Amino acid sequence: MLSFKVQLFSVLKSKLKADSIDLETPEGISVGEFLDLACAQYPTMEPYRRVMRLAVNQTYSEDAYILHDGDEVAIITPVSGG
Amino acid sequence: MQLSYERIDIPAAYRFLQTPGAGGVAVFIGTARQWTGERETLSLTYESYEPMALKEMHRLIDAAEHKWPIQRTCLLHKLGEVRLAEASVLVGVATAHRAGAFAACRFLIDQLKVQVPIWKQERLTDGQKVWVEGNHPSKPPNS
Repeated sequence: MLSFKVQLFSVLKSKLKADSIDLETPEGISVGEFLDLACAQYPTMEPYRRVMRLAVNQTYSEDAYILHDGDEVAIITPVSGG
Repeated sequence: MQLSYERIDIPAAYRFLQTPGAGGVAVFIGTARQWTGERETLSLTYESYEPMALKEMHRLIDAAEHKWPIQRTCLLHKLGEVRLAEASVLVGVATAHRAGAFAACRFLIDQLKVQVPIWKQERLTDGQKVWVEGNHPSKPPNS
């Protein structure tokens, strides 16, 4: 199993009342599977599943990317800077 | 390129952009708007995933400098509270000719608004605080 501290921002941080969540995953999990698992464990996030991206080591990642132990992960909902 | 909780220093940004090689400087300043339709905003608050935001801003500047012959680029975003009419973002580009300055400036602000992990929360007159949700998910590089 792998353990991740998942950083949250903006609307997800407000809805979950936390700036991070802990997630345990099987080894070899892809980004897409990781986001599905996060939403299954934290259903409050489910309405955002279609538009959320995972940043891995501070870079947007493809759904097929396989996560590794120690990766820095953050869930990014559509941004609204400017 | 900077994220800062301090007020954006517009004259300092312009001084930085001035260079004898440039024949044009395009500057876009985004400001906090009071009315969105019938909704009245009192102030905005910006938060960011700062290390990633700086990386993305750097990547956008690299992309712009690859596309246009830019002499100088300035990309500044304020975080924390922004009062009405205050600048929240400044994009400035100096190029030899105006067409490149306008095009690069437009590219940078448009891309910043969909790629850089910064979020805006509106404080409304009815006391609510509402996160503004962007229209498009961000894209991985080279996708």
